[in-house]
Formats: sequence, C-alpha cells, structure tokens
Amino acid sequence: MKTATLNRKLQQLYGGRVTASAEDGCVVLRGELDDWADVVAACQLAAKKNSTHHVLNDIACPNAKDAPMRLPPDEDRSLDGDAPDVLVIGGGISGASIARELMKWKLDVLLVEKEADLALQASGRNDGEVHPGIDLGKGSLKHKYIRRANRMYEDVCRELDVPFSRVGQYVLFQKRALFPLIALYAFWRKHHDGIEDTVLLSGKELLRREPQLTTETKFALYNPSAGVVCPYGLTIAFAENAVTNGARVALNTAVLDMTVEDGRITAVKTNRGTLRPKLVINAAGVFAEAVAKMAHDRFYSIHPRRGTNSILDKKTGAYLQSIASVKDLSVHGKTHSKGGGVMRTAHGNLLAGPDAVETYEKENTETRPESIRTVFDKQKTTLPPLSECDIITYFTGVRAPTFEEDYVIEPGRRTKNLIHCAGIQSPGLTTAPAVAIDVAQMAVALLQKTQAVEENPSFNPVRKGVPVLRELDDDARDALIRENPDYGEIVCRCEEISKGEILDALQSPICVPTLDGIKKRVRPGMGRCQGGFCSPLVTKIIAEFLGTELSDVRKSSAASVITYGRTKDGEGGGAQ
Amino acid sequence: MTASFYDVIVIGGGPAGLAAAISAHDSGARVLLLEREARLGGILKQCIHDGFGLLRFGEKLSGPEYAERYMDELRAREIDVKTLTFVTKIDNTGDGFRVHTVSRGGVAVETARALVLATGCRERTAKQVFIHGTRPAGVFTAGTAQHFTNLLGLQPAKRCVILGSGDIGLIMARRLTLEGAEVLGVYEAKPTPSGLTRNLHQCLYDFDIPLYLSHTVTRVFGADRLEGVEIAEVDETMTPIPGTERRVDCDALILSVGLIPENELAQSLGVRLDPRTKGPACDGDCMTNVDGVFCCGNALHVNDLVDYVSENAAQAGKAAALYRPRERRLIELQPSDDLLYVVPQTLDLQRAGDALTVYFRARKEENGCTLEITADGKTVFSKRYAFLRPPEMEQLTLRPGEWNLSETSVVRFSLRRPEQEAQR
Amino acid sequence: MKELVCIVCPRGCRMRIAEENGNLQITGNGCKRGAAFAESEVRDPRRTVCTTVRTAFPDVPVLPVRISKEIPKDKIFDVMREISRTTVRTRLGRGDIVLENALGLGADVIVTSNVLNETESERRKNDGTSACADL
Repeated sequence: MKTATLNRKLQQLYGGRVTASAEDGCVVLRGELDDWADVVAACQLAAKKNSTHHVLNDIACPNAKDAPMRLPPDEDRSLDGDAPDVLVIGGGISGASIARELMKWKLDVLLVEKEADLALQASGRNDGEVHPGIDLGKGSLKHKYIRRANRMYEDVCRELDVPFSRVGQYVLFQKRALFPLIALYAFWRKHHDGIEDTVLLSGKELLRREPQLTTETKFALYNPSAGVVCPYGLTIAFAENAVTNGARVALNTAVLDMTVEDGRITAVKTNRGTLRPKLVINAAGVFAEAVAKMAHDRFYSIHPRRGTNSILDKKTGAYLQSIASVKDLSVHGKTHSKGGGVMRTAHGNLLAGPDAVETYEKENTETRPESIRTVFDKQKTTLPPLSECDIITYFTGVRAPTFEEDYVIEPGRRTKNLIHCAGIQSPGLTTAPAVAIDVAQMAVALLQKTQAVEENPSFNPVRKGVPVLRELDDDARDALIRENPDYGEIVCRCEEISKGEILDALQSPICVPTLDGIKKRVRPGMGRCQGGFCSPLVTKIIAEFLGTELSDVRKSSAASVITYGRTKDGEGGGAQ
Repeated sequence: MTASFYDVIVIGGGPAGLAAAISAHDSGARVLLLEREARLGGILKQCIHDGFGLLRFGEKLSGPEYAERYMDELRAREIDVKTLTFVTKIDNTGDGFRVHTVSRGGVAVETARALVLATGCRERTAKQVFIHGTRPAGVFTAGTAQHFTNLLGLQPAKRCVILGSGDIGLIMARRLTLEGAEVLGVYEAKPTPSGLTRNLHQCLYDFDIPLYLSHTVTRVFGADRLEGVEIAEVDETMTPIPGTERRVDCDALILSVGLIPENELAQSLGVRLDPRTKGPACDGDCMTNVDGVFCCGNALHVNDLVDYVSENAAQAGKAAALYRPRERRLIELQPSDDLLYVVPQTLDLQRAGDALTVYFRARKEENGCTLEITADGKTVFSKRYAFLRPPEMEQLTLRPGEWNLSETSVVRFSLRRPEQEAQR
Repeated sequence: MKELVCIVCPRGCRMRIAEENGNLQITGNGCKRGAAFAESEVRDPRRTVCTTVRTAFPDVPVLPVRISKEIPKDKIFDVMREISRTTVRTRLGRGDIVLENALGLGADVIVTSNVLNETESERRKNDGTSACADL
C-alpha cells in the first residue's frame, strides 16, 4: 500500500489522529489514540505481509501505558569491563540455541538474562508444539525455517537429552462441503510450499486413531511431522550444553542502556557493570524493540499478545496421543495464532490452549478466567471429554510478534555489530534450531571482518540430562539406585521424583537453586498436588545443598520469599 | 531385586494404614506396611493440635500422640514395615498382587493375596478453585503451611487471608495467630461453614478472627511474594458477583478448599470410583470392585474425625486378612440427593447377615429430620437427627440381614423433613 | 442468658446458660462434660495450648508440645512467649516435660511426640545395619 493510500484509510478510520510516513525503510505511524486495540489495528493496517519495510509504532496511547521493565534487584560489578566476543541478550529459546550454536567456534560468549532462570517468559509459557508448518506460506522467514527445523528435532533432542515425540497433528473439519477446498489446499501446500507429508483422513479413520475426538468430524488433515517437546526443558538444555562448551550465562542480569559510537555498540550497561562486547545479539523477546532502540537500530515494533494454556491431570493424558483442533472456517479475520488446540504434552499431560489476546503489557502474565473459558468452550468441541475439573494449573505467556507477523533475523541496519533475532513467536520454538545456525553464521561473518574466528574442534554437542527414573524399567532403575541410593528416595509423589534427581538438578551446569528452578528441571511440584506435599521437602533439600537457612530458599526471584524465618527464637537456652 | 510374600500388603502408613495393618495382623495375616515418607503417622505428624481420639480412647490427644499409640502397637506386634518406600506400580496376577516398590535399597517386588489401600487424600489447590492473577510465593494449601510451621518451625505468613472454612483452615488460623501472624479473615464461598462447629469457636471466635460466608478469593496480586488478594461475594451458585470485588493486602493466602482422596494406584488396578466420594465404591467389607483390593480411611472418603478412620481401617484390615476369592452378590446402596454420599456404596448379599457400618453426610444443614432407609419401597430403618451438618459425618450400624433382600432389591437412603412428615 | 457452643468434643452441642442468684442453669448440653465446660466458660474460661518448641537438632528443628492442663484463656500468649524462649537440647520423648509449671499456672509443657528419640534410634539402627546394605 502506498503511503498516501494508507494515510487516506487512516484518516477515514481515525479522523486524522494517526498518520503514516515512509522513513528509512520503515513505515512510521505517529499520533495519539485512546484505545490500544485501535493502535494495533492501525499498525496492522499499515503492515504488509512478508515486507522488510516494517511498521514502527510511535502512536501514543496514554490509556495503555506499560509498567517499566521489571529489573533484578542485584547491583554489583561482577561483569564490569567484561569484553565477550558475543553478548547474547535474552535467555529464551532463541538466545539459548544461538549461544550453543556459537560454541561451535572458538568464541567467548556471554548470555545475559534478566530473570532468575532461563525460559521464564514466552519460551517457558507455551504449549511445546513442534509445528509442521501447514499454515505457513512461502515468502516468510517462518516458512523458510519451519521444514528445515522440524526435521532437525530428533537429532537435536537426542543430542540434548530432551523428551520429544513426533505425535502428529490432526486438523478436524465438521463440514463435508469443505472437503474439495481443503483437498486443494493440501495439494497446494505440498507442491507449492513443500509441506509434503500432509494427508487427508476420513472421520472414521480419525476416530480409529483417536477414539476420544469428536464424532462430528467429517474429515481431517493429518500432519505426521508435528511433535511435542518440553519447551523450557529444551531451552535449558541448549543453555547447559552451551555452558559445558565454554559459554557463560549470567542470570538476573538486565541490559539497561548502550553506548553507540560510529555505528557500533561500544558499551552495554547492565546491573552488573558495563560490558564491552564485540558483537551483540538481540534475542530479547518482547523487549527486542527496546534493545534495538538502545542500540540506535530500531526498525520494527513488537506488539505483545497474551496466550493462556491449561495443563490437565495426567489421568486425562489417555484421552489423546497427539495434537488436535477443530478448524472452523466460518470465522474469517485475523487471529494471528495457531488457534489453540488440545495435545498430549511431552510429559504426558493433556494441554488445552492457547488463546490470543492483544495487550500493551509486555510482562503481565496474570491469568484471567475468560481465557480458560474461551479455550475450553472451543476445545470441548474438539475433545468432548475435556473438562475444567481436570485442570491442575494454567499459565499465561506473552508472544512478541511484529506487525508483519514474521521474524526479524538480520544484522543491524544502522548499527554494525548487532544482529536481531526478533519478532519470534509461534512457531519460534520449532524454528529455533535452524534459526540459531543462521544467526551464528551471521555472527561469525560479522566478527571475521575484524578478527579471525576458528572452528571449535572440541565442541561436544551431547548433553547428559538428569536421568528420569520413573521412565526406567525396574532393573535399570534398581541398578541406578544401587549406585546412588538418593535415586530411591521419592520426594515428589505425583511425578515420582527422587531426591537424587533433585540433587542432580542442583549440580547441573546452570544451577538455579529455587523451587521453580528445580521444578522446571526435574518436575517436583508439576503434578496434581502442585507442590503441596513436596515443596517443604524440596526447600529442605535446597537449603541443605546450599548450606543455608531454610528461610533463605526462594520460589524463584530474590524477592519471592517462601517463609519469614523461624517461628521460635529459642534464645533463652531453655530448661533442657 | 527382592521379592517377599505376604497375606496382606497395606499401602500407606497414616492412621488408616496403621489401624488396617494391626487389625489384619490380629486376624492372623502376615502383613507388610508400606509408607513413602520417612516416618509413619501420615498427616497426623503435623497435626499437633489436640482433639483426636475422643471417641476411640476417651482422651483428647494431639495428632502425633494419636498416631504414636498405633505405632507402638504396630511395633509391639513386630509387623513388617518399610518406610521411605514408594509403590510405583501393582500387577494383578489373578490370585494376588505384585507390588513394585522403590526405596533407598533399590527396586523390590512384594507379593500379597490382598491389598489395603490407605493412601489418604490430598488438598485442592488454588488453580483447582480457579483463582487467577499472578503466580507469587505465599500461596499455600493449609497442609503445606502446616508442614512449614509445625514440622520445620518456619513462619509462612505474617499477615494472611484464609480461603475455605474447612477444619485444617480453621486450625491453621489459630496456629498462625499463636505464632504471631495476623489472620485477616477466613472467607468461605458456601453460605455455611465447612469445618466443625467447635473449631469455629476455639480457632476463630476465641481469637476474634472474622468469618465471611458467601465470599471467595478470585485473584491474587504480587509478582514475587503475594501482595494482596481480590475478594468477591458469591451468589447461590458460588459464582462471584460482579462489582463486589475488593482488594485485601496480605502476604499469604492459605487455602482450605477441600480434600480429594488419592486413588491413582487404585485406578491403575481398575478400581471404580464413586463420583460422590471420589474414592472407590466399596462393599461392606471395604472391598472395591476388584477382588482382593480393599480401601479405607480418607482414600475411601474424606472423614471428619480420625477416630472413624481408625475404625473403618480396622474393618478393612480384618476383611483383607480373611479374604478368600469368592463370588459376591452385590446390591447398590443408593443415596438420595439430600445426601452427599453413603459409604459403603454396595452391600454383599452373601454377608448380609453381618452388622454393616455405614457413613453418610447430609448435602446441606438440616434441622430436625429423619434418615430413612427403604428396601424395595419398604422402610427398613429410620433415625431422627436434631441436626445434620455437611461437615459432620454420621455413622450407623445396620442389620441388613433383617431386610429380606434379594439380588434385585433397591436400597435407598433419604432424609425426611418435618414438613414432609406432616404430609404423611 | 448466654448461648455457647461446646468445644469439648466434635459434636459441638449448642448450650444455653442462665444465671439466677449465682446459680447456673445449663440446657442443651449432651453430657456432663458439656455442663462443666459451660460453667467454666462463664466463670473462668480455660483453654489448652498446643504448639512447638525449638530444638537444637537440625533433623527435627521443632518438637510438638502441649500443656498438661488447661490454663486461663487470657494467658495463652504469655505461655506461647515462654515456650518460644525455650530450646530442647536433649532427645526428649513423648510425655517428657519441657517446662515445669509454666508461669506458675500449674501446667507443665510436655512433649507430644517421640520423633526426636525415634529418629535417633533409627539412625543408630541404620548405622548398625549399614554392613548389609549392599546385599
């Protein structure tokens, strides 16, 4: 759309309160609107699919003022003067996979993450689907990476010791009349977009495979290449493997500002001192635009989008072996989400979700009752036995899309020692392994302009995770317990996690000695009692391991106090 | 891997398991008791308040004292016990059961003719009552707060709100107050309290802690530690009423919103659950639909008093010890909608001559009503109650042998209220 | 006229107490203990106290205790403070006295669990059998 045409439309819709101008390869929208929904709509109007001329949102919206970025409380100089070859900003799936990929070269890599653990935002708050790419058309970066990345999953997950299963995905249709249309669609996908494995199934065949799915199905699209992975498990595994190969990870470390001189970032200010990296990789998720701005290289805008998933009791895992959702073509319009569905997770729970709601709040991960309602109302039509009564937990993540709804993976346009890995949203988890290869190559190419970069011959791609004893047969389990009796002491009854597995997590390459850190790594508290029974026991194990007081153990961040110290001072010495 | 043979394996070393093991032993069985925690006693270990054992021992005991009386009995009989031993799976071999366990010693398989499941119950969590908002530290189930306070000597709250007026919630209101915390109030979504009346008095009113009925917590605030909760009034269907929300600042939310029998092992054996109790449907011997699998205590249904748990478990233990494969002729005991549930759910006609112990709860508070049992439309038993309250379980001993039952009989339990009596 | 719920047993009888010339008329009680409770509740309300006492042993940081007889209701927090000042430094068992005649109220603070000496004996037992651990 020409700028003049766009401005005419904006004039019609917003009465001159918003104007667009083409500047420096971007479409900049300026003005003021009262409603965030209008801001999003105006920018979406301006956005052109697959365009590299991104929409920059400079529309003021006084009613939608986001809170300042949450910062870690720590203030020290532990990283002051540190000059890594590559500074990766963001410990989500993108940052972690890129850091690991960079270790294939002899480079000093530092990953900083402002949260108390890796994968605490979008990467840890999504459904874990490894997408087949059925809905992605040629021309987007998403499409460029999806097939390549999808095929990498067996190898990557084997190397990193992360649970992955290629369970397949069913898209259900309830109107027979749609069949010719969908058949044509599948044919087009196969021959035009290279999604070669999609097949059409009859409703009868679907029910033979997944008997609990709705009997209303007339036919279904089946994508055998879809899979499930543990999203935070994969992120942590990437980061751990990076660390064992020499990378450094600094948690609770936030980038606050940058100095840019002559088109180069010369200093990066953090709460742990000022860094002088040779190259910066921006993998900051919802804060990617803010980081780009600090680096004087802002040419895209991020508009946060919430999504809530519910996890159900493992008992319901038997309802479904795969991923499924009913597709309703009667609702047209942009939903910008894979629409949600039901799936059996890599850990055997049923998951329902996510929904998709635009928001101006980048870090508001509060859950809301209407999210659960929306998802369950929809997904009960997919899987009739689905019930809210079986929910054990729910969580909200915030996606980080651009208005073009595609990734931004490229070197800085103005700032030379910078690479953007931004706009990463679904299927960002799936594409991460392939994106990481390209970003690492870009990084090496940029560095090679000023220094020699050699391959790292001692790179070891294999990570040994904590053994999962509940999945072993009796003999193998017995053998491990005889080596280490702590593997025989069950601490978390719901997920059958032993003390030994918890101690292993505490001794893993990136030790996060908090209840949530342990929960993310080896799952105590992930089950149906949600830590009711095991949280005091895990607290005790952590305190003993660290040699601290029980009350020093935290849930997650430094301020997430679990207990306020002892009930009894006992200072008097006592009669006994 | 080792394997040993027993007549009866009791799974769970809380009050139910202890009583079942002792009773099975006294009935001549070779018994093994399996407990996943390091110490026997189950949840009673952390229930340091008194009031246990009034029915059983005529004394007011604390939880540990009550449990340890049974532990002493168990030791005196030299019954085999394995603590820190977790059951991973059970195979039903047709003539017995192979129980796979994990302990610090390794994996073992124990074999028995009969099983007693005494696996207790777990607490409902914040998400199971659909509390929304952030995920801060400081949201505890009452049992977890009790563990921190009473077993680890730690203070989980300084200024807290309690949701749910179940007994553990009330007990924790007093307990946290005694330990210096400020309890801002107990909120209950139902229009009537869920806990025992005496606990309302000695735990709340004694300490001027307010009780708000028909109120619930809908949301929590705070990114790191809890900073406040949103309270809302609820209507008769317990749905929050829009516009009644208000924020209460506090650093902890303690939940006492119900207990759920833990029956994952039972279900893995094909045991059928009663949707009313969420425990197995049993016959008068506490035997489930799976021959040789017995269930007792809070795994069977959530009891109000441990004294009843011990009694019921002793019955299950004895029945398990005497268990021999036989044909059962089961008929259902059907509760009317006035009743929350009736346990047992079935009656074996082969054993109709024996006394039958029945537990039931009313669905809502009743003043002056009659429990009536009919067999094939004929009243076979009735008993007047001055009042019935859902938190208080009622127990009856019946003689079904006198009811002329046949395999096609329909046995119904219902309540008759005074107005209905007048119509008769 | 005063109404009262009996807390002696789980029944929770609702009682009415009327006072005439210093004599109490109690109705609604289900048993004699209820009447005694009602009388005490009017003249000298008393309660028991159950709590924990700190120990010097890391494996059992606190030990459950209660008082041997009921104390005046308004002394509960005083007794709590007294108990809070105490530390158990020997492996006491159930029934052992932690504090004798606390605050001169005539009630002893007594241990209600064997957890301290039980874990000790189990530890000894485990040490003793460690030789056959690798069977």
